[in-house]
Amino acid sequence: MQVLIVDDSRAMRMILKKMMGELGHKDIDEAEHGQAALDHLEEKMPDVALVDWNMPVMGGEEFISTIRGRRDCDQIKVLVVTSESNPRVVYQALKAGADEYAMKPLTTEVIGDKLGMLGLA
Amino acid sequence: MSDEMDDVLNEFIVESYESLDDLDRELVTLEQNANPDSLAGVFRAVHTIKGTSGFFGFNKLEAVTHVGENLLSKLRDGETEVDRPITTALLSMVDAVRDMIDSIQSDGVEGTGNYDALISELEQLESGEAPTADTDASGSIDVDTAVDATGDISDVVAEADIAESTETTDVEILEPESLAADAAETVDTSPTAAATGHVASESIRVDVGLLDDLMNLVGELVLARNQIIQYTGTNPDATFSATTQRLNLITTELQEGVMRTRMQPIENVWNKFPRIVRDLSIACGKQADLAMEGKHTELDKTLLEAIKDPLTHLVRNSVDHGLETPEARLAKGKPAGGTVALRAFHEGGQVIIEISDDGAGIDPALIRRKAVEKGLLTKEEAAGRNDREIINVIFQPGFSTAAEVTNISGRGVGMDVVRTNIESIGGSVDIASTHGLGTTVRVKIPLTLAIIPALVVACDEERFAIPQVSLLELVRIDGHDPQSSIEYVHGAPVYRLRGRLLPVVHLHEVFGKAPPEHSDGINIVVLEADNREFGLVVDEISDTAEIVVKPLGRVLKQVSAFAGATIMGDGRVALILDVMGIAEHIGMTSTGAGKQHGVEDGEANAAGDLRRLLMFRLGDRRLALLLEMVARLEEFSTEQIEVTSNGRVVQYRDEILNLVFLSEELGIPSTRPEDAPVQVVVYTDGGRSVGVVVDDIFDIVEQRFDIQHGSSAAGMLGSAVIQDRVTDILDIEGLLRLALPALFAEEAA
Repeated sequence: MQVLIVDDSRAMRMILKKMMGELGHKDIDEAEHGQAALDHLEEKMPDVALVDWNMPVMGGEEFISTIRGRRDCDQIKVLVVTSESNPRVVYQALKAGADEYAMKPLTTEVIGDKLGMLGLA
Repeated sequence: MSDEMDDVLNEFIVESYESLDDLDRELVTLEQNANPDSLAGVFRAVHTIKGTSGFFGFNKLEAVTHVGENLLSKLRDGETEVDRPITTALLSMVDAVRDMIDSIQSDGVEGTGNYDALISELEQLESGEAPTADTDASGSIDVDTAVDATGDISDVVAEADIAESTETTDVEILEPESLAADAAETVDTSPTAAATGHVASESIRVDVGLLDDLMNLVGELVLARNQIIQYTGTNPDATFSATTQRLNLITTELQEGVMRTRMQPIENVWNKFPRIVRDLSIACGKQADLAMEGKHTELDKTLLEAIKDPLTHLVRNSVDHGLETPEARLAKGKPAGGTVALRAFHEGGQVIIEISDDGAGIDPALIRRKAVEKGLLTKEEAAGRNDREIINVIFQPGFSTAAEVTNISGRGVGMDVVRTNIESIGGSVDIASTHGLGTTVRVKIPLTLAIIPALVVACDEERFAIPQVSLLELVRIDGHDPQSSIEYVHGAPVYRLRGRLLPVVHLHEVFGKAPPEHSDGINIVVLEADNREFGLVVDEISDTAEIVVKPLGRVLKQVSAFAGATIMGDGRVALILDVMGIAEHIGMTSTGAGKQHGVEDGEANAAGDLRRLLMFRLGDRRLALLLEMVARLEEFSTEQIEVTSNGRVVQYRDEILNLVFLSEELGIPSTRPEDAPVQVVVYTDGGRSVGVVVDDIFDIVEQRFDIQHGSSAAGMLGSAVIQDRVTDILDIEGLLRLALPALFAEEAA
């Protein structure tokens, strides 16, 4: 399974990469914000994108609405992974086209469960 | 913790530090001018730290950043206006986070700090309860939950406590959303944000240790290149020398390239200053703006680290001691808010950093008084130095002008530490101030330390390298008797360079050896240390070279004359001279000279030192005599003078005192009336006294002067401007040797 992690924090990307690794997913690419992720899509289509909400240049909301407006990205499952706990954000994320929303506490189990809910376990 | 986790944790620490530096700056900017861009950035940074710390289980860190994030989210959404109490609280939060990250970095845990007070303060500000917070929220409306309530997430509505929400809630929701949208748009189009993204994707992170290793290797390569170039000189093979040329070029480019990788903009250090200036000006009850110019000026990372503390100290000083209070400024007709300006630019292979303020400036009179009180200068020295020199006295150890020691800047360590730190990296610092108008401190630092241009000189077949930073000029004295152009003022050798007296020292003497006799010319390397010039006499001046600085071993490190070592083109080692160290050795530095004066006044003889003169007249001429040459002043009547085979004498203190009539020796007609008593200056040398008869002794002056040798007649040291008039200075010793050769021959025997 191809995984794309979109997060502006290097530490967070490492954490998510580690968690995905523990779940058996090793084919992982990273992007530091929405725009970089869009650029990446030109080369490689992931099966799932773990997307942060607050990012510079292009945030999660814009990224998700952009790819949801593209037919070639239909198969990408989008899991919003953020510690943003404001329920309004959850609402906005789902409205923009996210498939799932992982809130804290962020653990490998939570990510695993969410992936399972997306049929990607 | 596994290695992998260690890596993640390290990344977290590095990333957090980066964010913290930005946060300080951004928060201060916000206070002055709230713009959605900065707010979004600040929010994101705090948010990221919160999210990541939660993952590591750093609960305290998470709790602190969580309340901070909540407050920031209100600011971002425009529900609360940024004001001073909020900025202060957020800055305290940044400090708390920094403390915890520090502790995590050193011990792996958050530390024992208690942040409950901070958390409740942030919570109060968020809810608008704090009495100082000026928000429209009346009562305790939890706007967060009010917002929640409008969302479509039904399972969270349950926890929403909207009992007290008012009808304003609806209005507030609409506004923040449009604001947030605005913010998002500005972030997208912001050129800096786009640029950052671009740079980040095209750059990689490299360990500093690796760059250091690379720099060392390039250093070795430069040495090998130098050796090959030297060898090429003796080898006629054309192909070989062409290849060497290429090697030479490539090495130079590689060296420049690697040096560039270590370059960082000075901005990295300056970033902290807006916060420091803000906090400090509030603490001192002052208003201060910080202006920065040339923040992209780059210099070596090591140097950047080294100047961080000195620069911080200087900036703090500008606010604490430099700027006046708003009231005082207004009274002087200045704007209430002062400005501290930082300026950085390249100049002649060095980086110049200026820290200036438009504050009160430094009162030279105050420094003079303080310097004398503290025993740093004698009264005479203090009076004789010009204002600029006097102001630079504040760099001397043990000097602090603060009327009282504050806990802000006057911490016992002062400008001397600043100077020591800057000089330890081969830099220099100078201060200029106009009383009432402001102060500018100018810091000069080399671009890099690892490879420096140097002048190679030789002494006793050994070669030494002198960093070109300290080099002013090279002087060669030719002629049949070059030694005679070195004069002695009070036993200290000087050379007259364009009318100024330049103290000189022979490199042999620095090493405790006797200088050789020069028959075919003297080479003087004119150096600058501590804002004073001196000449270093060397046997031979070889060439300039790029040298790679190698640290000295433990034993040699204690020798102050050497700064390091390098390997020359022929593979031999050359020591690098420490110009400051040599200047100290000969008592050239301001501190050195001061100390020496403490022991024996008049011992040190730098150009233009304060001297006392006996002023007298001879005919129509004004003459002067160095007072230290004078044993006593006497007056004899003409009857007392007796004529003997040894010339004219008087009986004086059971001795026979030979008299020398100066008018006769110098060929200047005396205007003394025949029968008037004679004025006699008694000169004593080796138990022998001689009386020098002059026309009229009229004054003793204490003055700083340079003796101009030019047209000096026999028996004269030269002339100088004393009391605004050109005055000949008598060489009494030389004169008496001429006048009474017998007396001195006897003494010599």
